[in-house]
Amino acid sequence: MAAADSPSTALRRRDLCSRGIRLAGKMRADVVDLLDVYVEQQGLDASASVAAVEGVPLAAVERWDEQTGTQRLLENLAAYRAFRALLAQMLEEQREQLGEADAGLGRALAAVLLQVSAFTYHLEELLRLESRGIPGEEGDGPPPPPRLSLFEQKLRGLGVLRELAQWAVRSARDLRQLAKPGPATGTAPGLAESP
Amino acid sequence: MFSRWNWVAYGFCLVLNICSPDASGGLVQSCGHIIPESPVLALGSNFTALCILNETCLDFGNIYANQIIWKIKNRVVPKEQYREINRTVSSVTFNDTSSLATPLTCNILADGQIEQNIYGITVTVGLAPEKPKNLSCIVHQMSRFTFVMNCTWNPGRHTFLDTEFRLKYSWPEEVFPDCIPKGVNNSCTVNDIQFFVNTEIWVEAANALGKAESDRLVVDPVEIVKPLSPQNVSVSSGILPTVLKLSWENRISDAVMLLKFNIRYRIIGDTSWMEVPSEDTASPRTSFTVQGLRPYTGYAFSIRCMKEDGVGYWSDWSEEKTGITTEDQPSKGPPIWRIIDASHSPASWTVHLMWKALKPFEANGVILQYEVTVRDKSSLSSPLKKYNVTSTNHTLQLPKGTYEVTLIARNSVGASPPSVLLIPASNSEAPVKNLRTLPKHDKLWVGWTAPNNYVLKYVIEWCLVSSSSDCVIEWQIALGDVQGVDLKGIKPFKCYLITVYPLYADGQGSGQSVKAYLKQDRPSKGPTVQTKKVGKAEAVLTWNHLAVEEQNGFIRNYTILYKTIDGNETVVTVDPSKTEYTLSSLTSDTLYTVRMMASTDNGSRTGPDFTFTTQKFGKGEIEAIVVPVCLAFLLIVLLGVLFCFNKRDLIKKHIWPIVPDPSKSNIAQWSPQVPAKHNFNSKDQMYPEGSFTDVSVVEIEADDKKSFSEQDLKPFDLLKKEKSTSEGHSSGIGGSSCMSSPRQSVSDSDEGETTQNTSSTVQYSTVVLNGYRDQTPVQVFSRSESTQPLLDSEERSDDHAGGADSTAQRQQYFRQNGGQDENNTDRPCFERAKQITHANEGDLVGFVQLQVSGQSSQPLGLGMEKNTQEAALSSILQTYTEGQTVRPETVEENPLSVDDMPKSYLPQTVRQGGYMPQ
Repeated sequence: MAAADSPSTALRRRDLCSRGIRLAGKMRADVVDLLDVYVEQQGLDASASVAAVEGVPLAAVERWDEQTGTQRLLENLAAYRAFRALLAQMLEEQREQLGEADAGLGRALAAVLLQVSAFTYHLEELLRLESRGIPGEEGDGPPPPPRLSLFEQKLRGLGVLRELAQWAVRSARDLRQLAKPGPATGTAPGLAESP
Repeated sequence: MFSRWNWVAYGFCLVLNICSPDASGGLVQSCGHIIPESPVLALGSNFTALCILNETCLDFGNIYANQIIWKIKNRVVPKEQYREINRTVSSVTFNDTSSLATPLTCNILADGQIEQNIYGITVTVGLAPEKPKNLSCIVHQMSRFTFVMNCTWNPGRHTFLDTEFRLKYSWPEEVFPDCIPKGVNNSCTVNDIQFFVNTEIWVEAANALGKAESDRLVVDPVEIVKPLSPQNVSVSSGILPTVLKLSWENRISDAVMLLKFNIRYRIIGDTSWMEVPSEDTASPRTSFTVQGLRPYTGYAFSIRCMKEDGVGYWSDWSEEKTGITTEDQPSKGPPIWRIIDASHSPASWTVHLMWKALKPFEANGVILQYEVTVRDKSSLSSPLKKYNVTSTNHTLQLPKGTYEVTLIARNSVGASPPSVLLIPASNSEAPVKNLRTLPKHDKLWVGWTAPNNYVLKYVIEWCLVSSSSDCVIEWQIALGDVQGVDLKGIKPFKCYLITVYPLYADGQGSGQSVKAYLKQDRPSKGPTVQTKKVGKAEAVLTWNHLAVEEQNGFIRNYTILYKTIDGNETVVTVDPSKTEYTLSSLTSDTLYTVRMMASTDNGSRTGPDFTFTTQKFGKGEIEAIVVPVCLAFLLIVLLGVLFCFNKRDLIKKHIWPIVPDPSKSNIAQWSPQVPAKHNFNSKDQMYPEGSFTDVSVVEIEADDKKSFSEQDLKPFDLLKKEKSTSEGHSSGIGGSSCMSSPRQSVSDSDEGETTQNTSSTVQYSTVVLNGYRDQTPVQVFSRSESTQPLLDSEERSDDHAGGADSTAQRQQYFRQNGGQDENNTDRPCFERAKQITHANEGDLVGFVQLQVSGQSSQPLGLGMEKNTQEAALSSILQTYTEGQTVRPETVEENPLSVDDMPKSYLPQTVRQGGYMPQ
């Protein structure tokens, strides 16, 4: 796939991958920092167990190294679109709960939301380079979240951020795989290549 | 100026009410308006405005478009720019809006030529915004997680209008809020910036005349980051004395970017920085070990960072942190030299060893002590002598010989390599050649030509030459392969004595010295010149050399400048080694001003003026004049004396004629009955017998004025009469002698009476009528042989002392008539005193003659050739003629005069009825 690309396409892909990897890394770092702030701000226990967030594909998958590049991109795109919607909802709930009292948390959420949006853009661009149609957001989006209590909202927010942190790690690995030249797209990354 | 057009013309809405009878009770209706209303125009474009009159005003007010007048700010627009479109519409056109001003009004000239305003508009002229250029952005890291992006651009020309600039940025699927500059129009800062996404950035400028956009800048903000510099930099010394380890913290997350670094360092006190090679610090890290440092040296470090791939900007340098390397053993031995003093003892030396403290980079620590070892090379069996010294000098008393001195410096780590110095018995080796100096900025370069033999090293000694203190020696050592060194710390305008010694393996060469200045100046003062000796045409000048501190350079020559007060200055150049010079060809008896100038290569200085006067006579001239004159004078005197001695008889005869002593004369034995036996001496024989006449004794009554006056008025008659009448007459008793005058005696007394007095009267004088020595004959009294009358006279004078008046006193010598005071002739005393030496034979005789003969004294006066005497005699005669008498007592008033009297041959006393001396 990548070998047949024109040089400009390959360069573009490599640039997108590189930028995406670093964005994923920064996003992970920011989300990790945000998690600490969020747990403290929401009065949660950092060690609290949270169930999987509905509508978000799990980052941890089996046979990851057997996935193709397109498959990776699609899974990433689905996940980040879900994160974008969830984060936007969290930001709205946050504003409703705290108003302008804690602008810092709100700015941090907004920054992460921006990064998620940017990463989504990267994924979409990569899919375009793969000459694949970009799936519609409407149909693939997560179902409207049920009406939750405030605590459940907090827990769900915690779960979203934790899952996002994991997805950031996985996305970096995925993009690193994609950036490799040749047909090695489907090979599993070594441990040293982890972001 | 266009900004004024933005003013709202407060009067443009003044609408004239051209009366409308129907308008009462409602808003005032305007009679017209202008199209367009308050336009904004591009500068330089053309513009047309229309003034449209209301139909309602036409008929009622007789107002038509042809009456419209356009004005710009009260200035009428030329009618050429008007155009009447119809009877209600007038247009005005401006080809260039730059000539427009606010407000533009439409006016009308109503009946009576009254100008009324119809309507007015504000015209705004400006420019459309230019395309912003040179857009650039930089992302500043404000804190670990905070980044702001500042973009700047060139806004272009001034538009004269309100122009809004907006910084726009967006992602492909995300548009962010615009950044609107505050207070400026060329920069804006975006606070919400996200990395790793290409962001499109551009600037949009807009105003009433248009809109413009800059070129779009697409950049990932992470590529234009200027990160914060590393913080918490620390420096720690390592195990090795040449390394220091730096540690720091980066303030940007690895997730954002990886960093590379620059490390710079400098020795504390230095200003120049050194940098660690950039390739050594091109990878992310938080520590680095700097190597190749000097032991025991303080260093200051500073670090900066930027994105690892070099895209972006370097951070600022971090604050400096310092550290000190650990000690190491001294890297070299101290330079050592000696001064040998052999003056105290013929058999031993006093050796002053001196060495220089190692420089910090050589000492590599704190020098704790020096170890001096002296080995006598002439005696292998003699033991080594060791001294531990903490100072940088040491003095030894050594027998004369050859020694090897070894010096070691120790610090806490170890000892330095030894420095070895040979102290030879003599400096017998070859010296350096061609020693020379050359100033180089603030250093003095000393160069030499190496001797033919191999030289281990050279010792360069130098000292500041001073006239007031000893030469304090400084020195330094140069390696044997150099032939010149720079001396530091040399002061300008000071004289230095520089000596270079070559040190050989087996001894040392003799020193070669040179004097040098780093920089020369003119002397600080000039020489003080003075004269050592001044002659008629030359003067020996002397001066002292200037002190070395005053020279400020090598004295190349002295210049003597001398001149007279009004003369030209003469310049003489003198060799600087001299302290004396002889000026020659000077003018005698002339005041000279001389001064002296000392010159160096860089100027001259003149000393104070000194003046001297050359002598009028040269050496020996006075002696050459005085001695001959004295000799000539002495010779003349001697000749005169000899002449006088040879001619003493003649002189005596003329000056001191032999005066017969009356007491020894024959007249003492003379009696009237016995004819006098004339016994003439040689002097008497000068007068021939025939020239003498008989002496007649005449007695004159003191109050016989008439007879006296007659004689006085006819002095020459008397002579004639005497000549004619004296022959054949003989004088009375005691009245004649062999010296008697041949004059005829005139006497009223009878012979008997005269005879009667003879016993008490002696002949007084003899009148010689013949001229003396071929002169006009004068009458001369010869002294009488008798002294008796003089005694009488003195006795009488005593009787009248104190009673005489002043006039009589002055006339005392001339009182002839002793018994009758009034008959005496007045004569000033001082005249007599003046004439006493030469009047003996003249005046006084003449006067006596006058008294006796009653004839004028005029012939006598002429005979004496003395005007003063003539005047005196005239006065006397005149007084006498008037009948005044002289009192005889005045003789007593002046005893001294009386003492002189015997030499004057004056008759002293004549009693009435006695003889009058002739």
